[in-house]
Amino acid sequence: MTQEKSLKTPLYDAHVARKARMVPFGGWLMPVSYESVLAEHKTVRDACGIFDVSHMGEVRVLGSDAEKFLQSITINDLTKLPIGGGQYTAMLNERGGMIDDLIVYKLGVEEFFICMNAGNRAKDFGWIDSTCKKSNLKVTVTNESDVWAQIAVQGPNSLPVTGALFSATDQALLKALPYTNIMPVTLFGQAALVARTGYTGERGYEIYLPASLAESTWNALLELSGEHGVRPIGLGARDTLRLEAGYLLYGNDMNDDVSPLEAGIGWATKIDKGPFIGREALVLQKTRGLSRRMVMFKMVDDGIPRHGMAVIYDGKAAGEVTSGGVFPTVGGSGGMALVAASLKEGDEFFVDIRGQQKRAIIVKRPIYAAKTK
Amino acid sequence: MDLQKNLKFTKDHEWVDATGTTGIVGVTAYAIEQLGDIVHIDLPEAGKVYKTGESFGTIESTKTVSDLYMPVAGKITAVNAAVKKAPESLQTDAYKNGWLVKIEMSNVSEVAALLDAEGYESFIKE
Repeated sequence: MTQEKSLKTPLYDAHVARKARMVPFGGWLMPVSYESVLAEHKTVRDACGIFDVSHMGEVRVLGSDAEKFLQSITINDLTKLPIGGGQYTAMLNERGGMIDDLIVYKLGVEEFFICMNAGNRAKDFGWIDSTCKKSNLKVTVTNESDVWAQIAVQGPNSLPVTGALFSATDQALLKALPYTNIMPVTLFGQAALVARTGYTGERGYEIYLPASLAESTWNALLELSGEHGVRPIGLGARDTLRLEAGYLLYGNDMNDDVSPLEAGIGWATKIDKGPFIGREALVLQKTRGLSRRMVMFKMVDDGIPRHGMAVIYDGKAAGEVTSGGVFPTVGGSGGMALVAASLKEGDEFFVDIRGQQKRAIIVKRPIYAAKTK
Repeated sequence: MDLQKNLKFTKDHEWVDATGTTGIVGVTAYAIEQLGDIVHIDLPEAGKVYKTGESFGTIESTKTVSDLYMPVAGKITAVNAAVKKAPESLQTDAYKNGWLVKIEMSNVSEVAALLDAEGYESFIKE
């Protein structure tokens, strides 16, 4: 993808002004780092970092059949959600492969808000919209991706940093907001949403705000830097943070051919909730037993594993690395790999790093225990 | 740019410090800066012989891996174990303590064909 064709978020100028290194990602021109990936990683673990995630997509689902409709196209059980609750879930194709992983928030009895991956915006909305039209349910779906900017505030200091944007009343509600929940807020006099979610393994918030407020909000958050150590964070550290925390990255760790059971998100897959697209394929997979599954591993030998490198066990091909890199907080390097389902924690395998077989060991996922709660 | 005037450079961003038939080889500070955080370096064992332009190892940042190319042909006589152990040190010192390998050059005349400090500086400004 050439830079000319890449889309820009409302914060593009702010990133360039801060001398961020800009790279194309998922069709967008995004900051990969501002100073150093490792320094930015540490900022989020120790203090607070802010991320421009405006490239993510948003869909609003309204109507008396909204819950019924979403229940039929996602793997998790929405009927368990209170108003203001959010849940990690995914949409599957008929083969049980993942169209995307999502967060669905319940804003009201008949109103839901979906956050989807940047690179899948068109694909996801096309799927949701066409499935909806075929269903004859009383639902309207609206692609609001261009309406919203999104800023993630992540790290142990994220509560006071995020709270400083809001009134005392909203601050008190924010403080009480449980993990994965969402609340409406007033931001510079306009309606916005704040969810207690993230992709770093730290306590954090994701603010959905009108695109026109993106730059003033971004600058207001950074002005708190003196007291709380707030720094802007690029996609490079976003990747090392999520990797340590064991979070999947669509396009790397899963795609249309990987099922949620294989990807290790069986905890979000409620097969017994009732019918949903892809369910039959999952039932079959469960009956036959999985042939491959996602594991987290750490390198024993030196070397850095990368996406696509072959995994070798007992002299034979046994899968491939889906995400790899350094573990800045934990130390060393490693990643996630889709391997033969017979491999288990503590087993050692080899990663083919440019022709050299380097030893790795399967560890508990995640390797960094999340502090989100 | 703080380039040592006695060094010679390649367009692949390696430098060589030649004395007699001995060459000390490293990567330029400019290249290190472009790569970002250096997290791993893979260097050969002493005794290995390489042709000019052949990859003798890799240098890896948080996001990318790049080959290291021999600026001139030769045999590896020493490897910088300190850099191998702490590759991030290249970010503050790519020249003095940041050398990667010492070589016995096969053909000393190859050195003359490399860029001088001025030539390299104008190359990276292009």
